[in-house]
Amino acid sequence: MADKSELFPGTLDMLILRILSRGELHGWGITNKLEQLSKSALQVDEGSLYPSLYRMEDKGWIEAEWRMTENNRRAKYYSLTRAGRKQLETEQEQWDRMSAIIAMVLHSA
Amino acid sequence: MTLLRQLSRRLRSLFFRRQTEAEMAEEMRFHLEQRTADKLDEGFSPEEATFAAQRKFGNLASIQEQARAGRGWTWLDNLVKDLQLGVRTLFKSPGFTLTAIVTLGLGIGANTAMFSVLNGVMLKPLPFAHLPQLDRLYRSTAQNPDGNISPADFREFQLAKDGYGDVAAYTPANVSLSEPGHPAEMAYSARATANLFSLLGVQPQLGRDFRAGEDTTGRDRVVILSQRTWQKRFGGAPEVIGRTIRVDGEPHTVIGVMSAGFNDWRFLGGIDFFRPLAFAVEQANDRASTTLRVIGRRSPALTPDDADRFLAAFGARLAKEFSQANAETTWRRVTLQSAAAGPGAAMVLPMLIGLSGFVLLIACSNLANLLLARTMTRAREFAVRAALGASRTQLLRPLMAESLLLALAGGALAILVAVWFRDWAAVRSTGDNGEHVNFIVDRGVMAWAFAAALATALAFGLAPALFALRLNLNDTLKSGGRGTTGGRGHQRFRQFLIVGQFALATVLLAGAGIFMRGLDDLNKRRSGWESSQLVTGTIALPVGTYGDDEKISAFHRLAAERLAALPSVTSVSLSSSTPAFNWPEVRKFIVEGQDRPVAGREPAAAVNRVSPLYFSTYGTRVLAGRAFQERDRADSTRVFIINQAAARGLFGEKNPLGCRLGRVDGDKILWGEVVGVVNDVQPIVTDANPVPFQIYQPLAQAPRRETEIAVRAADVAPAMLVDRIRTAMTELDPDLPVSRLQPADITIYRASYQDRVLRDMLAAFALLGLALASLGIYGVIARTVAQRTSEFAIRLALGASVRDIVRLVLGSGVRMALVGSAVGLLGAIGVARLLGAAYPSLSTNNPLILGATTLLLVAVALLACWLPARRAGKVDAMGALRAE
Repeated sequence: MADKSELFPGTLDMLILRILSRGELHGWGITNKLEQLSKSALQVDEGSLYPSLYRMEDKGWIEAEWRMTENNRRAKYYSLTRAGRKQLETEQEQWDRMSAIIAMVLHSA
Repeated sequence: MTLLRQLSRRLRSLFFRRQTEAEMAEEMRFHLEQRTADKLDEGFSPEEATFAAQRKFGNLASIQEQARAGRGWTWLDNLVKDLQLGVRTLFKSPGFTLTAIVTLGLGIGANTAMFSVLNGVMLKPLPFAHLPQLDRLYRSTAQNPDGNISPADFREFQLAKDGYGDVAAYTPANVSLSEPGHPAEMAYSARATANLFSLLGVQPQLGRDFRAGEDTTGRDRVVILSQRTWQKRFGGAPEVIGRTIRVDGEPHTVIGVMSAGFNDWRFLGGIDFFRPLAFAVEQANDRASTTLRVIGRRSPALTPDDADRFLAAFGARLAKEFSQANAETTWRRVTLQSAAAGPGAAMVLPMLIGLSGFVLLIACSNLANLLLARTMTRAREFAVRAALGASRTQLLRPLMAESLLLALAGGALAILVAVWFRDWAAVRSTGDNGEHVNFIVDRGVMAWAFAAALATALAFGLAPALFALRLNLNDTLKSGGRGTTGGRGHQRFRQFLIVGQFALATVLLAGAGIFMRGLDDLNKRRSGWESSQLVTGTIALPVGTYGDDEKISAFHRLAAERLAALPSVTSVSLSSSTPAFNWPEVRKFIVEGQDRPVAGREPAAAVNRVSPLYFSTYGTRVLAGRAFQERDRADSTRVFIINQAAARGLFGEKNPLGCRLGRVDGDKILWGEVVGVVNDVQPIVTDANPVPFQIYQPLAQAPRRETEIAVRAADVAPAMLVDRIRTAMTELDPDLPVSRLQPADITIYRASYQDRVLRDMLAAFALLGLALASLGIYGVIARTVAQRTSEFAIRLALGASVRDIVRLVLGSGVRMALVGSAVGLLGAIGVARLLGAAYPSLSTNNPLILGATTLLLVAVALLACWLPARRAGKVDAMGALRAE
């Protein structure tokens, strides 16, 4: 658990959107997925996921529904809306462009 | 779509907070349980697993706070919380709260009441459909810019009206109204052209309008009642349509009833019923009697400027073509809306609004002082909160919430005050005819009240709050638990407020004093006549019974004889006008042997047609020659009596007795001999430019149907005679009503009822202003004394006497009051000028009142300061110093 990186501000939303783009999940599921995909290299307070989720729900990027899990527990499932899908596209594009520019500058200097 | 969903979600989170909270908690609990289960699987002990899960999750409370902020309206949430807190804090200091609300409520209430007057008089549109195109048309002369129009000129305009639009005319008069089984009553009726109502765009609510052609002689015996008369006199029965009533002894058929909206007191509201206006041939050609009030409706195509030009050209044409009657006259128009409000309204109402604004300003500065003092006592609380990390907005928000609450309560109270005022004004302003002003408290008035309350409370709540923000944290916390007196700036600000209050109160008091005094003078002023022993009343002889001049004169003689024969009666007079009020009849005169001036430029004189005993009855002195006598009859030589001003103006140094004077009557000139000179008389209310020449004619030589009776009582109170006079008149003609039969002084007093409403309002403003200002100075001085207790204690300990301390406190208060009054006196002089311009007959130059006002204010200030000053002198020096 040594080399962990903190997230750039504002990028958590994008990661959540990306994870949800593969199908609906509850908060705990998103946490697991994030861990799994990042190979546990990210240093995030697990709780900070939730304000992010609520904010995005408020903006209409994702929507939520209470349903039963396989283990028969009530959980809140989040899924991407059309607006959210579009948001993900723009954010990803921006990110790609930005990181390319940053990489370019860093490597050529 | 998204917006809608967002809205519903936010509302849900606002109103179903508990459920949203529960869902959030459940979701996070689920997460934590899952993580704990994971850790248990990794081999942690249960406690360790729970702890690790929590650590990984982060600060639960803080995350929940962030989550809440992420959805819903935080600000609204906060506002509700702030308001709840505000209610609690305000309830905790009921004294402050009550004072603030009452101050705000009275200040804004006065202002709102005034606004409702402005609304009712000027802003609220008259209830006519075609209002934007409606004008009053005037024929202006040098003496009278708002002159009425003669029948012949009106017919001329009817022929030319296509260049303008449409035109209607009416003329009001007193008539007798009787029905079988009812005593005759005098009613105020108007004859109107058949198109009057359709031109205004109104319909009778019952029955029908006049038909075209009903305004011709013979077909004109139909009547449309006002809603008020219908209710009062006919009990609101719908069967009234078709009923026959007698007007001036002639049977008329009721054909319609106007709606209640038509009772608008500003225009035609005082009229009891309408009849068609039919001209007999000789009337139709009459260019001398300007009796018609003319209303025009501009055709929509015509711009106001074009209408003005058209009227000017038309007036010029009349002046040229009929120069005998119309030389030197012009035509002009005023929109009906502003004509109805009256020319005085435009001057008086803004002044009253301004004065009520003064009351509000005084109330505001009191409120500011109160809030400032309150903020200062809470300075420590603010400092602690700021030290604990509250942001500026977080500090300001509860203060603003309190102000908002005060504003709401104050606004509500203000509306109560306005409603109460409306009822009071309706009672106070009821005229003799039962019509009264109607100031409706409508949405506009309510909006005004709340807007004023909000603006006031926010502005004056924010100012002290900003002071609080500038507090030095360190000093405040160190200064102990006493709150702070505030720095020099605060002191100065408060003193400024007090000085301002006193200045405004001076203006209010002096303004009200001058107006009340002036009005009182008016009611008491009897210049050239007196009325204390007189009973007066009005009669109007109907055409039906008194067909010609001979019959009219015979009745007048008989009435004078009978009344004079009553016990305790000294003398009796009949006249077309009384000296108490303006004489409406103004005629042109020329002097024999002098060059005749250009037509239209002949000297004008107010004319009164009087019976022989008029001068002795009213106490007008005959200075030279003789009074009229019984021998001045229709068939004897025509005679005139002139007043001093006319004698001097028309004849100069020459003795006017025996000279011949000609009254210009259209194309004719009626010559007569001057037989007497009497002193000038002045009515109680004079016009802006009164006609100085007064000329009397014997009533028998110029008979008139409508006359004023005056009976002088010998040795009894005039009120005792009223019933006897009425009985005597009924015996003479049971169908003849005598209206306003009462002691002359009562009639005179009643005549200025509208001015008295104004006077009472001014007085109320002044008293309110004075009360608020003294409350203000008392509050400030009392606070200062309380805060300077330790200072006084030290002074006493160092050897100051109690008197020194009292003098110190009194001195500071009186200084503020004096400075304020001095500033206010300047304003008061300005207000006096304004009043003088609006009421030319009011004497507004009254230094005595200005002086008295200043004295009163200083006395009040002394008293208000003396109470706390006495307390200051009684400071227990040892106790106060030990308490440090």
